[in-house]
Amino acid sequence: MVPLSWYLIVAAGLFCLGLYGVLSRKNMVAILMSVELMLNAININLIAFWRYQDPARIVGQAFAIMVFAVSAAEVAVGLALVISLYRRRKIVIAENVDLMKW
Amino acid sequence: MTTESLIWLLPLPPLLSFFLIILFTNRNRALSHTIGVGAAALAWLGSMIVFLRAAFGEGGFHHLGEHPFHSAIAWLPVGETTFNIGIQIDPLSAATLFFVGWTIFMIFLYSVGYQNFGQPEGDHDKKGLPPHGATVTDEHGHKHTVLSIEPNYSRFFAFLSLFAFGMYVLVVSDNLLTLFVGWEIMGLCSYLLIGFWFAKPSARAAAIKAFMTTRIGDVFMLLGLAYLYSQTGSLSYRVIFSPEVLEHLAHDPAVGGFLGLTTASLIGILFFMGTIGKSAQFPLHVWLPDAMEGPTPVSAMIHAATMVSAGVYMVIRIFPILSAGAEHGLTPAMSTLAVIGSFSALFAATIAIAQNDIKRVLAYSTISQLGYMIAALGIGAYVAAAFHLITHAFFKALLFLGSGSIIHGMEHGILHTGDHHMDPQDMMNMGGLRRSMPITFWTFLIGGLALSGFPFVTAGFWSKDEIFADAFANGHYTVLIVLALTAFLTAFYTMRQIMLAFAGEPRTKEAEHAHETPWTMTVPLMILAVFAIAAGWVGIPNDFLGLNLGEINWIHGVSYTLVLSEFELEGITFSFIPLTISLAVALGGLVVGGVMYRDFKAGQTDPVKKMLGGFHAVLQNKYYFDEFYHATFVRFSQWVSETFSFQWIDRGIIDGFLHTLARVAFFLGGVFRDRFELPVISGGADWVASVFQWFGQTFRTIQSGRVQQYMILVLVNVIAFGFLFYYLVEVVGR
Amino acid sequence: MDFIQDHLLTLILFSPTFVAFVMVFFPSNEDNLNRWAAFVGSLIPLVFSLVLWFNFDRTQTGFQFEEQAVWYSAINSSYHLGVDGISLPMVLLTTLLTPLSILASFGIKDRVKSYMILFLFLETGMLGVFVALDLLIFFVFYEVGLVPMYFLINQWGSEKGERELWGGMKVSSRLYASFKFMIYTMGASLGLLLAIQMIGAVSGTFDLIELYQSWTALEGTLFGLSIGQVKAIAFWAFAIAFAVKVPVWPFHTWLPDAHTEAPTAGSMILAGVLLKLGAYGFIRLVIPLYPGEAKYYASALAFLAMMAIIFGAFASYGQTDFKRLVAYSSVNHMGFVVLGIAAAAWVASGPNVQDGIIAMNGAVLQMFNHGLSAAGMFFLVGVIYDRTHTRNLNDFGGLFPLVPVYGGILIFTSMASLGLPGLNGFVSEFLVVRGSWPVFTLFTALSMIGLLFTGAYILKGIKQTLHGPLNEKWIGQLSEINSRELWVIAPLMVLMLWLGIWPAWLLGVINQAVTALFG
Repeated sequence: MVPLSWYLIVAAGLFCLGLYGVLSRKNMVAILMSVELMLNAININLIAFWRYQDPARIVGQAFAIMVFAVSAAEVAVGLALVISLYRRRKIVIAENVDLMKW
Repeated sequence: MTTESLIWLLPLPPLLSFFLIILFTNRNRALSHTIGVGAAALAWLGSMIVFLRAAFGEGGFHHLGEHPFHSAIAWLPVGETTFNIGIQIDPLSAATLFFVGWTIFMIFLYSVGYQNFGQPEGDHDKKGLPPHGATVTDEHGHKHTVLSIEPNYSRFFAFLSLFAFGMYVLVVSDNLLTLFVGWEIMGLCSYLLIGFWFAKPSARAAAIKAFMTTRIGDVFMLLGLAYLYSQTGSLSYRVIFSPEVLEHLAHDPAVGGFLGLTTASLIGILFFMGTIGKSAQFPLHVWLPDAMEGPTPVSAMIHAATMVSAGVYMVIRIFPILSAGAEHGLTPAMSTLAVIGSFSALFAATIAIAQNDIKRVLAYSTISQLGYMIAALGIGAYVAAAFHLITHAFFKALLFLGSGSIIHGMEHGILHTGDHHMDPQDMMNMGGLRRSMPITFWTFLIGGLALSGFPFVTAGFWSKDEIFADAFANGHYTVLIVLALTAFLTAFYTMRQIMLAFAGEPRTKEAEHAHETPWTMTVPLMILAVFAIAAGWVGIPNDFLGLNLGEINWIHGVSYTLVLSEFELEGITFSFIPLTISLAVALGGLVVGGVMYRDFKAGQTDPVKKMLGGFHAVLQNKYYFDEFYHATFVRFSQWVSETFSFQWIDRGIIDGFLHTLARVAFFLGGVFRDRFELPVISGGADWVASVFQWFGQTFRTIQSGRVQQYMILVLVNVIAFGFLFYYLVEVVGR
Repeated sequence: MDFIQDHLLTLILFSPTFVAFVMVFFPSNEDNLNRWAAFVGSLIPLVFSLVLWFNFDRTQTGFQFEEQAVWYSAINSSYHLGVDGISLPMVLLTTLLTPLSILASFGIKDRVKSYMILFLFLETGMLGVFVALDLLIFFVFYEVGLVPMYFLINQWGSEKGERELWGGMKVSSRLYASFKFMIYTMGASLGLLLAIQMIGAVSGTFDLIELYQSWTALEGTLFGLSIGQVKAIAFWAFAIAFAVKVPVWPFHTWLPDAHTEAPTAGSMILAGVLLKLGAYGFIRLVIPLYPGEAKYYASALAFLAMMAIIFGAFASYGQTDFKRLVAYSSVNHMGFVVLGIAAAAWVASGPNVQDGIIAMNGAVLQMFNHGLSAAGMFFLVGVIYDRTHTRNLNDFGGLFPLVPVYGGILIFTSMASLGLPGLNGFVSEFLVVRGSWPVFTLFTALSMIGLLFTGAYILKGIKQTLHGPLNEKWIGQLSEINSRELWVIAPLMVLMLWLGIWPAWLLGVINQAVTALFG
């Protein structure tokens, strides 16, 4: 059987990929997509830990489903904000959105 | 109607008349005076019925003295008991009611004429000033100046009605409190009537002077009421004059052992102070002459015949208290009465001889005659005092009304000549009026002779004679001499007055054109003249001239009022000595006066002035009492009021203290503000705020608004905290 | 009907407040609506108190129409109301004077609605003091009344005049007067509050009826002091609070200022009712709660009363401002109230209790009488001030022919104030003098100086306004008293006359309660 660490390595790689995307991409849509990557990495972790550590209970699966729900909601709100920003100010670049600046 | 209910109703018509006139009819003069005179007539009628029932009812005065008409109701609840008020008619009040009823009715009738009813309204008359005359044009186109009607005609009758109410209340009361009520209501009316021509500053000042001076007496009387009430638990005559109460009062020392007096004496003196004010005795006599500022002579008559008599009436009323404990000679209270009364009598008589104003002479003679009565009471001759009170009321009313008639006649003359600077009251401007005003002359003569005590016919003779006889029989020779001297002066100035006014030739054009007054004025004069003679006959001694005349001395019935008093008069037997004195002084004074002023010509110096020299000025200025009082009491109380009480105490000391407190509070507030509030509280809060501000200023730069920068910061923090936790858990924790 | 019977006092007490709350929703620019609403509204408590008056059982002693409800159970203070023969006349006086004052202030043009609302609140405050049977409730109402009065003086007071304080600093008169009034009375009642707290803490209740029994019987030590000392301190705290309110000489100087600067109706209420709160406090609280101390210090109180009578009269005589003259007359007249109270305190339950009963009867009756005559006098001063805009006596003179009706009324009211027999003031002054003479003979005798000068200042007022040569400048300026103003003064005059002729209708009620108080 594939050891647990393999899954964790894949998940860590995927997480770093997402993190890099979040921090470096300029396009807000791309940032959102990167966030999805990070969330999915976490899902992999959750499932892996469940399967290897405590398969008797379904806590890990439940958590993963929660994350799906959250990420779906997040994307929905996030995309809506992006579209709204785009419609009003014609921007999709995160750096240019500095309304909250001091 | 029972007599009691009739007595209850006696004061009512004048009171109703007052309210009716004030509230409803004051625009209608005829209606007003009809109501006023009608009310006075009703009250007069009632008084006469009561008097007749009292005097000639079952057993006469003797029976009445023991069983007076009496009825009372509870008026004030005090604690478990009540204070009762009611009415009572005993011989004294019946006799008083008789002259009060007559004189008041006469005043009302006389006022109709005196205030010029039926005359046109004046050309320039103003309310609050005497009428100045009106111009009328007759059918031939000639203009005449005639007397004009009083502008406040209706109001005059309203005030008179209220006055009558007060007097009736005083007379019918069965207790000293309602007596006091009537007393003060009359005081108010006196104020209103003296100040009837209120727009004249002199009248205004005189009104205030009268009210204030009598009020000095009244506050003492109020104390007397309180004292008597607290000692006896009642003010009703039946209780306070009962032997047990008098016994108690006569032997109880006065509160705080005041001057070693007994309670009875102190109470008596307190009450007598009220009389000093009301009856204008020395030293509170100053208001009465000034009261002549009122409409001549109606209010003057109030201040001569009726209201001032109330003072004497009250002293006779409380005579049992004054004399309580008099077994061993006079009580201190009685001595006070004797001294003040006889001094006032002589004192006022001396002033009267130097006055030229016809009303002022009469005013001083009033003081003098009231002094007579007080002195008589002081030596215990209460019957004589009551007798003189009655006769004096009639003849003095007559004299005042007569003088009013003279003045009215003179005003007629003034309107004729048009010289408005002429004083119609100055006797020097008169003369020879006997021809133009015959009725006034004869009635005035009768009154004057009665005042002088002209022997055997006039009322004044009999009453004065009785006082002399009492003084002589009881051995009060000082009083006798002083009163005899006064009687001489009285006869003298009365004759001087009659001579100056009526005898000789007119000294001015105005006197030439004087005119007899209308019937409303002369009829009262004639009626009163009858009484000025006949009122004396009821007091002829039973043994006059040593004859046995039977029980003719009816006035002695008054003494049954006081049967409960312990004071017994010495049985007086007739003596020729006081009679001789009486004859000598009366006739002597009349003759001297007659001779000196028989043919006094215009521009001549007053013989009295010639005779007295410099002292005349002192007399003419009334011994400078007004000036003295003004310089001392009046000025002093003004200073106390305006400067001492208000400026010094209230504004200076008390407010000054309060302001100092406020200043201290302000100062402390300032100190706290500057030393504590500003640096510590306020400064401390500011410091905390500024620290936070600095913090914010410093850290706000990281708020770039860039999402990705924030995320980097989060990442850095997560890593940093990760290391921190690792360190804490793995390194420190183990 | 039963509800009304059972809650009559609450209805009387809070109906003005209720009307005031309703009036809050009225448009503020409808002046006439507001005036009439306030007037009609203030008639409601009057009607209720007439119901109270006619249903009051005169044969019974003690409190009637009692109501009790839980208010503050933690400290045992309850909403306890009740009236007896002493407070009943005061309730009647308050509910009578308020509508009259409101009617008198129809001439107010500035912020009518607020003015009227304040007035109605003021009425509740005053009534509460008279009907409260709980110390805490008493105190609450005692203080509540100050606030509306402060604003009435401060906002609607006379516009002219300045008062110099110190160092040339000047403030407007009404500001000065309202501050003095507020701070003086508030400051004085601080001690009252502390003493009430102490009584409550010691006795465990604020209920007056219980305290009448328990507090006077208290013995032992408190706070390390003997009970006598504690009571003496508490007595003075009470006495000073009420003495300022009455006011007793020398605490009186706020009064002429406040009365003079207040609007006419405010002066009417101030003199008519507010001063009575102090005297009522003496009768309701000081004498029953501290009989021993009251007796001990009675002569001091009588001395101060005498000073008030004498110097009140003198100071009044020294004025040239008509309103201030009338204001000082209140000091003079309230002196008699205090004199009567002092005499009653001295003889309380002794062998001469009859003197005390008479004096106390006189004092309570004098409170009522002064309420009528002082309110009347202030109103009449206000009438002439409205027309001439001056209060200086030297500016008037000879006005009688211009305003005969007004003149007659002024003379009538002045005479009532002077204590002319036949009018109300005399009866009460006589009773006070009668009651206090055997007790404080010297003080009573000296007070007569004040009574004499009462005459002097009253006559001065009449002399300078009505009598004398006519001051020509008022011809055409001064109009006769109008019918609204007649409606204000007429009830007062009727009562003055009626009380002077037949005082028993009121005195019977008072006597019953006073006799019970000393029984």
